[in-house]
Amino acid sequence: MFGALHSVPLPPSPDTLLALAREFTPRVEACGPATVLLDLHGLARAWPRPEALGRALVEAARGRGLTEPRVALAFSRVAARLLAAGREGLTVVSAGQEAQLLAPLPLALLGLEPEKADLFRRWGLRTLGDLAALPAGGLAERLGPEGPRLRRLARGEDDTPLVPALPPECFDCALELDWPVEGLEPLAFLLARVLEPLGLTLASRGRRAAALTLELRLVDGSVHRRTLKTAAPTALPRTWRTLLLLDLESHPPRDAIQAITVRAAPTPAREVQFSLLDPAQPSPERLSETLARLREWTEAGRGGSPALLDTHRPGAFVIETFSPGTFKATAGEPTGAARLGLRVFRPPRPARVSVEGGAPVFVAASGVRGAVADRAGPWRASGDWWDVAWSREEWDVALFEGGLYRIFRDRLRDEWFVEGELD
Amino acid sequence: MGSPATVKAALEDLLRHQRLQADGPPLRGEDRWPRPLATGVREIDGLLGGGLPRGQVSEVHGPVSSGRTALAVSVVAQTTRAGALAAWVDPADHFDPTSAAETGVDLARVLWLRGGAPATAGLGRAISVAGTVLGSGLFEVVVLDLVGQAGEARRLPGATWIRLQRLIELQPTALVLLADAHLAHGPSGASVALRAGAARWSGAPGPGRLLSGLELEARSGRQLARAARFALPVSS
Repeated sequence: MFGALHSVPLPPSPDTLLALAREFTPRVEACGPATVLLDLHGLARAWPRPEALGRALVEAARGRGLTEPRVALAFSRVAARLLAAGREGLTVVSAGQEAQLLAPLPLALLGLEPEKADLFRRWGLRTLGDLAALPAGGLAERLGPEGPRLRRLARGEDDTPLVPALPPECFDCALELDWPVEGLEPLAFLLARVLEPLGLTLASRGRRAAALTLELRLVDGSVHRRTLKTAAPTALPRTWRTLLLLDLESHPPRDAIQAITVRAAPTPAREVQFSLLDPAQPSPERLSETLARLREWTEAGRGGSPALLDTHRPGAFVIETFSPGTFKATAGEPTGAARLGLRVFRPPRPARVSVEGGAPVFVAASGVRGAVADRAGPWRASGDWWDVAWSREEWDVALFEGGLYRIFRDRLRDEWFVEGELD
Repeated sequence: MGSPATVKAALEDLLRHQRLQADGPPLRGEDRWPRPLATGVREIDGLLGGGLPRGQVSEVHGPVSSGRTALAVSVVAQTTRAGALAAWVDPADHFDPTSAAETGVDLARVLWLRGGAPATAGLGRAISVAGTVLGSGLFEVVVLDLVGQAGEARRLPGATWIRLQRLIELQPTALVLLADAHLAHGPSGASVALRAGAARWSGAPGPGRLLSGLELEARSGRQLARAARFALPVSS
């Protein structure tokens, strides 16, 4: 059996009727802003007589501030919906009586398209009974399959199942403390008590937490709120506890903690199809934990992956967030051969360079000093003339005292620098 | 898709190729422990019996321009191109991404931790962050660049290296110390001493000349008895 609750006027909020209906059964479906359908199967034990259930619905609706609730109970969804919309008060329909009770109701309750409504008006149809009395074959010839379908609806015949509206998922866990706590060590144990059940709830619903909000109600009445996100959603309590504690180390609450609330932003669990022939990838949870422990370096811009900039300016790079991603093997691409590279001096070390015949013969800088035994250069480069221009003349020099260095003359300032050691 | 027999033969070829290829990337679930980390320099790999041992602290040391950095970068290149992750702990901020990229390092798979800022200065912080990185178990090779800091490194407590060794002894991670002179290595770790030979120059002295390479000598083993000579080209 199905029930329908219709409110005239519109309820204060779209969720009012859903919340009211859920007091009776979890299987409810919203049909527009003013009507909600209920699946009443299985409620016979609580309400042996449908009339009692109907009256209970009416009373509950009035208790929620609905002035003119209309309730209908019938053995089909459409019959219950149309009767609740078309008849005042409570209507209870026995099986097989739907067409009879629907007959006098206006055709507009079907919610027809304007063209169909106009057509039926020109045919002289005014009520659901008028439509139900027409032959199905004739309707099919004139309207196609839509005709017989509308006729069945007018007779209260409907085989479609109720599609229940899912209640909003809520993943949070709170803990009220008997005694205020101070410091991170006792908080670590308490967080475990809160995060364990939250993680289980998420996992049981096939969810992960994309972000976690920690609210600490302090003794002084304020709320210390921190929100964390990870590189990949996870429901592991241990990972979240580590991340929260690391975050609280650098953002500690200013007073003792009276209550703890943790709210998770749920997301569907990540589905990853691994290949047997691909190398093992880093665990996102462990990566998040490690990066959280290195936040002192990453937040200062001193930790991450270097990325070269598309420019000729020497040594141009940026530090990006370390996020290696899935490895894609590039078959056939050879690994570069080992080669001497530069150990860069940051900033380049100012140098005094003696020059003979345009070539450096002696270099003196912090940590680098000696006569030049051999050299290669000059190699000139310049760029960014439209922005911050640079122009340099580079030399690779070998010193008698040992060591290979790259030095350059800034041609704009006519100054020498040691860029780095070739090692 | 071809016939089942063709598909089966192709799959067996692929598995044979992947499993028997010595330098192929380690597969999911495969025990990487027995495989040493190749350095990418054939002579060094021959000296070390295949490469740097996993789960051990190894060192690469030598004077200025002896190829220490090149060898470490080459190890990182081999590691990252195979799909694993590498970390470079750089308290003095000397790492050059441009040279590394030319050697074949996949920079996106390198975590570079640079000193030189107030929040990250000091050798103690670098050792601490190296411990964090090693303990994560995410990285196949971690390079700790201590070149130019020999004095400060020698003042570190002796237990420092033992503690770092313990962090990785049950993991397939190699810690490589770069230093000016011998510093420390694990009980089964490698110690490679490098020495520069003659520089190679292209062409006659004058404009247009290039530094094309450097001859090097590497020694390893008990009392550095084993030696190998090789040459490395220079990055552009």
